Amino acid sequence: MARMTWKNIAPVPTSQEFLDIVLSRTQRRLPTQIRAGFKISRIRAFYTRKVKYTAETFNEKLSAILDTFPRLQDIHPFHSALMNTLYDADHFRIALGQLSTAKHLIEQVARDYVRLIKYAQSLFQCKQLKRAGLGRMATITKRLKGSLEYLEQVRQHLGRLPSIDPNTRTLLICGYPNVGKSSFLKSVTRADVDVQPYAFTTKSLYVGHFDYKYLRFQAIDTPGILDHPLEEMNTIEMQSITAIAHLRSAVLYFVDLSEQCGYTVEAQVKLFHSIKPLFANKIVFLVVNKIDAMRPEDLDLEKQALLETITKSGEVQMLRLSCHTEEGVMDVRNIACDRLLAVRVEQKLKNAIGSAASQEAVNILNRIHVSRPLSGVEPEPFIPDAVLNRMKYDPNDPNRPKLERDIEVENGGAGVYNVNLKKNYILENDEWKQDKIPEIFNGRNVYDFIDPDIEAKLAALEEEEEQLQASGYYDEAEDIEDEEDVEIREKAEYIREQQQLIRNAARSKKALKNRAIIPRSQTTKKLSDMEAHLEKLGLDPSAISERARSKSRGRASRRDADEDADMMDVDGNPANRAMSVARQNKQKAIEKAKARARSMNRREDGTGESSGARSQAEKMAKLNQKKMNRMARQGEADRHQTASIAKHLFSGKRGLGSTRSR
Amino acid sequence: MAVRAQFENSNEVGVFANLTNSYALVATGGSMKFYSVFEAELQDIIPICHVTIAGTRIVGRLTAGNRRGLLLPTSTTDQELQHIRNSIPDTVKIQRIEERLSALGNVICCNDRVALVHPDIERETEETIADVLGVEVFRQTISGNVLVGSYCALSNQGGIVHPKTSMQDQAELSSLLQVPLVAGSVNRGSSLVGAGMVVNDRMAVTGLDTTATELSVVESVFRLGEGNAPGNVEGSLGAAIVETFY
Repeated sequence: MARMTWKNIAPVPTSQEFLDIVLSRTQRRLPTQIRAGFKISRIRAFYTRKVKYTAETFNEKLSAILDTFPRLQDIHPFHSALMNTLYDADHFRIALGQLSTAKHLIEQVARDYVRLIKYAQSLFQCKQLKRAGLGRMATITKRLKGSLEYLEQVRQHLGRLPSIDPNTRTLLICGYPNVGKSSFLKSVTRADVDVQPYAFTTKSLYVGHFDYKYLRFQAIDTPGILDHPLEEMNTIEMQSITAIAHLRSAVLYFVDLSEQCGYTVEAQVKLFHSIKPLFANKIVFLVVNKIDAMRPEDLDLEKQALLETITKSGEVQMLRLSCHTEEGVMDVRNIACDRLLAVRVEQKLKNAIGSAASQEAVNILNRIHVSRPLSGVEPEPFIPDAVLNRMKYDPNDPNRPKLERDIEVENGGAGVYNVNLKKNYILENDEWKQDKIPEIFNGRNVYDFIDPDIEAKLAALEEEEEQLQASGYYDEAEDIEDEEDVEIREKAEYIREQQQLIRNAARSKKALKNRAIIPRSQTTKKLSDMEAHLEKLGLDPSAISERARSKSRGRASRRDADEDADMMDVDGNPANRAMSVARQNKQKAIEKAKARARSMNRREDGTGESSGARSQAEKMAKLNQKKMNRMARQGEADRHQTASIAKHLFSGKRGLGSTRSR
Repeated sequence: MAVRAQFENSNEVGVFANLTNSYALVATGGSMKFYSVFEAELQDIIPICHVTIAGTRIVGRLTAGNRRGLLLPTSTTDQELQHIRNSIPDTVKIQRIEERLSALGNVICCNDRVALVHPDIERETEETIADVLGVEVFRQTISGNVLVGSYCALSNQGGIVHPKTSMQDQAELSSLLQVPLVAGSVNRGSSLVGAGMVVNDRMAVTGLDTTATELSVVESVFRLGEGNAPGNVEGSLGAAIVETFY
């Protein structure tokens, strides 16, 4: 939706303020320390940044101004025309255009000087280039002086414009100066307009609002218009013309027949005819004001004939009122509002019924439709007689009936007062109201026995039940199973049992408490288990177990060797008997160590040296590592240094000395 | 007479109250303000009772009733039921019903002659409704909404249904209900008319947010006050409705 008000535009600074803002920001936000001894690249970067940052700030500020001001082609024609009359569209556009040009120029300057700084050889050169660049930007800004001042004035004026909604229900009051337009606005709305007995009291548009038939209307008071060509009209009159031309409204053309305003009836009628082209497609009323002084009937015939030239086409209705005596004011308002409403609604409904009716439009048609029953019988209400002779409740009446609310207020207000819920009980005896009834009595729920004959009823029910049982009503014919059924049932039971066993086994396997998941194909199973299972299935396991045994690794040779060593210990070899004890011991130790070394070599263990599995495994390992090595991936064996904290992060407070770290 | 009110800052009046031609149920709240809105209009005419249903305050949504009877959900406690029995006259039949759709106010919409019910309500409940409330029962939806009690406000003189109900649906419903119907809203455009207001043949209470246009539609359709007739909606009020909502 287009904007209607421009009250929140930020103030536009003057060119001097603008410069101060931008330059001081550069100074504040960027580093200021530079030394001739620094590397030239660093010095260049320092000044490049200054120039660029200043240009960016200019750009930002100028864009902000350009964005907040309305673009005349984007807003409602009424607002755009009003701005044209008030601020001169050309001037406005040129001012904004200048700002936009300045923005581009500053960008260009910044680009040029950044390029120059690239070739500067010393700090001094860099600094001079920066100075020149910023200076040129400042000159460009200084040239904006006029535009910025003008825009600030426009901003202040825009903020004070009344918020006129061009699309809502509008009454537009127009006419010659001093015919009582503002008095009418003042008497129908709460708008506080200045009413004075001289011409051109109202110099701009004024808006007032009022409610009629549940709807909000806006009434617009316009400055008086004099009858001269459009080109000669001044700004004040042009505002009226803009409003008449662009607002969809009911136009109330005010005339003063008493000529107290200082203009003749002829002149007023002539003005009507000359601005008539603006009234095309609008509802127009001729409102005769000040009828306390002069009524249309009392006018001489010549002037009456003149007035009739306005009304004779039939499109313009004549209304009469007197703001002085308040006579007819509300009638005029109501007639105008009714006509306006009727026309607007008719137009909307026409759109709604048309072929391109939106869902929204159809919904609104549903809402203004009353569906009545076909029988046409008027429904009868049920209203107790007590209602008819009841007095209407009036909260201001001192003798009004006391409500619970009043009692609450008397007793300390909400949160303090506790209402007695039992006081309005409808019981046979009022004394029973406050009786306390236990919920449970003698171990029984009291409410179950609220019916006095509950015991008798229950007894009757039980008796009936007994009779039914006795008469064999509930005895079902026992179903006899034949053998087939029994077999099926047993099998089914067996299947269910097995399924449950399998399920349980799976569940217990899942409950791994922090142990590795081992795939079923890798779990060790005993040969005996397999045999048992196969036997259970009715298969002969002997062939398979035979095969499995033949595949298993024999331990015969090892055992032999060990036996030799051991036997030596136990019975001793007669050949060695002659050896000295020391030698024997040494021999024993060597044999033991050898035996241990053989059995403890884990690299060889379980592979079998002769099979070559070991070397194959090593080959595989190398192959796997090959890719890793080729990609030069980081591994845990690589040297690594963790990030170190910069000195200033772990050393204490800075002293008064220099800040080298910058 | 149509009044605007609020229950503890909530505009959904129909949630916290149930109003019929022979009694009114009002939720117990922190203050008496909401209760006194009903009291000001109905004191000494019909009993207005403070109740809770299953310990909750959403009494309007949990109960359904008319002049002849009152239906309570199965979650109502024995004590609450006894309190209600004591508070409203014996001419009103009170029945606690076993129904899966226990928010009876949402699934039943009734006046003294007809009731619209949720299409999935149990058969036994349907029979109970007919017996206790003395009404004809129709399984219906309102413009596709099964919660008929939430989307329809009904009295013996008229009814308001969901604002997007098409004219065909309105005609069908009004021939069932035998009262004039209008599609409308309450509480500044809320389509939950049943939950947003309560109405009997004498008065209506709507949420505080209800606009003047909406309130005048309510008054016209339910014929509350002098010179109010459903015809106004097509006539003088029509312009205001079109201008406000379109």
